[in-house]
Amino acid sequence: MNDDILLDVRHLTHVFPLSKKIAVKALDDLSFQIRRGEIFGLVGESGSGKSTAARCIMNLYRPAAGEIIYKGVNICDPAQFRTHRKMLQTTRQLIFQDSSSSLDQRMKVCDIVAEPLKIHRIRPARGSLRAEAEFQLRYVGLDAGFLDKYPSELSGGQRQRVAIARALSMEPELLVADEPIASLDVSIQAQIVNLFRHLQQEHGFSFLFIAHDLAMVEFLCDRVGVMYHGRLVEAAPAKELFSSPVHPYTQALLSAIPIPDPRLERARQIRQFTEDPENFQGVLTEVSPEHYVLMREGEHHG
Amino acid sequence: MSSQFEIVGIRPADAKPPVRRQKWYRGKPLFAAALLGLIVAGCLGCGYIMTKDPSYMNLSNCNVAPDREFLFGTDTMGRDIFSMIWYGGRISLFIGAAATVVSTFLAIVFGALSGTAPEWLDTLLMRLTDILLSVPNLLVTVLLQAILGEANVLSLSLVIGVTSWTSIAKVVRTEVRQIRGSEYVIAAKCMGGGFFYILRKHLTPNFISSIMFMVVMNVRSAIVAESTLSFMGIGLPLEVISWGSMLSLSEKALMTNSWWMILIPGAFIVATLLCITSIGNYIRKKANNTQSNL
Ligand SMILES: Nc1ncnc2c1ncn2[C@@H]1O[C@H](COP(=O)(O)OP(=O)(O)O)[C@@H](O)[C@H]1O
Ligand SMILES: [Mg+2]
Repeated sequence: MNDDILLDVRHLTHVFPLSKKIAVKALDDLSFQIRRGEIFGLVGESGSGKSTAARCIMNLYRPAAGEIIYKGVNICDPAQFRTHRKMLQTTRQLIFQDSSSSLDQRMKVCDIVAEPLKIHRIRPARGSLRAEAEFQLRYVGLDAGFLDKYPSELSGGQRQRVAIARALSMEPELLVADEPIASLDVSIQAQIVNLFRHLQQEHGFSFLFIAHDLAMVEFLCDRVGVMYHGRLVEAAPAKELFSSPVHPYTQALLSAIPIPDPRLERARQIRQFTEDPENFQGVLTEVSPEHYVLMREGEHHG
Repeated sequence: MSSQFEIVGIRPADAKPPVRRQKWYRGKPLFAAALLGLIVAGCLGCGYIMTKDPSYMNLSNCNVAPDREFLFGTDTMGRDIFSMIWYGGRISLFIGAAATVVSTFLAIVFGALSGTAPEWLDTLLMRLTDILLSVPNLLVTVLLQAILGEANVLSLSLVIGVTSWTSIAKVVRTEVRQIRGSEYVIAAKCMGGGFFYILRKHLTPNFISSIMFMVVMNVRSAIVAESTLSFMGIGLPLEVISWGSMLSLSEKALMTNSWWMILIPGAFIVATLLCITSIGNYIRKKANNTQSNL
């Protein structure tokens, strides 16, 4: 595996002011790295700040503190962002959770897929924009008959495929997908996850996959980070995280996954997780190679 | 059994609901469209239907009542009103259209700017439009026209356009505030679309139906504004023939009892306005329907 780091998120903090006095700390000292060609999964309950992290990475929010280094560029610095704007806009792409709102209802599929090419006035490699759109659609498993349809005529899974085709038409180096399967049926979820896996092998982009479905994450991701209340509590290679979770929150999260074996399932106990603030203090400590856990100095979780 | 469980109060539905074929023209303002089309076509093709030179002053034929030669009579300067109507209509309609283009463009840019701006700038811009909105339009128009000097067709269109964009801008701003948070706009922003790209491709197509009615009504008020200003003598000068400047002769016409000089341009203006209004109402109804169908 290439150990070259593409995205380096360092001590990211983001605060939403709700009123003059009250503010929500959506991200609190979040740090993680994504290597080239790697699929990094970010999991955590709803409201833990996953979307906020994705939007900071896409420069949609200005973080209050911390920095994000993407290909050696600190994208949180306005001056550096401006000088590298074109590179940043073409090599990073975002896929949203809800494909019905991330596609303009008044545009045809072929215009949607070719939109980034049009914005950047890129000469399509396959002649016309339409041919390019058709090519990208075929890549995500839709045929040319969809070119002239409107998003409202498609099913949720098909729409998400269109959104993926749009993101891939720029040949991105970093793909950020914010819960891309959360609004789909279970069977369609599996299809889309398979598609992601296939596309990632084909294109080799780095992939930040945000989800709260742990089974899909285990199947798809190389490494996984677990977020809780804006902090990263544990990060490890997927296999290791699922086989030997260390942090109590991760353990509780994993114990909630149903096991497809009735005997084991009956014996499964959902671990109660108490919101002990003790558990969320300290620093990320490497407990085994590549396995980081949030803990106090010298402390060990049971 | 069936008698025990008799259902009371429910009539069996007719097996076949009466199928009424909808005529394609049902509910469409056909008559208004046809009449407006006729007027517009007549004005555009005025060269073919004019019987006289509209600007030729024939002083031996002043104040002639409508007759065979002068279909609509002549005015106090001996010009043929029939020719003037078509020739001048071109100017009036042009001012209506040009002023609307100016005001709609301003309204969309200003409204979208305000709608996408941060809170404080939005508030500032909206207070500014409120102030403009509360000053009587006519006052601003007269002031601007005074600054620009002698009115001609273009300057008058500009002045009317510049004074009539505020209410559309407010609607645009409200719509844009709703649309700008949509994920497809955020997606376009991520892809690198600039302000004008997003405005053109994503915002305008999604709010155009809600301002269409106001835009059409703007054509109407621009024609009215031109007539009013010319009637008051601060619009187009007498030599520039338009429906408004024709009406400005009405004072003299009243003294000579020449009804045709007022009635005929007036009738054309009113007919045009009514047609535009009814088309505008149709557009509004349609926009409401499609929104509720979503
Ligand atoms: N635009 C916003 N304004 C105020 N608070 C927000 C906003 N977006 C998110 N938050 C808050 O930030 C926290 C993290 O939200 P989010 O990143 O959406 O979580 P997730 O995607 O993991 O469900 C939540 O507590 C949420 O209430
Ligand atoms: Mg989210």
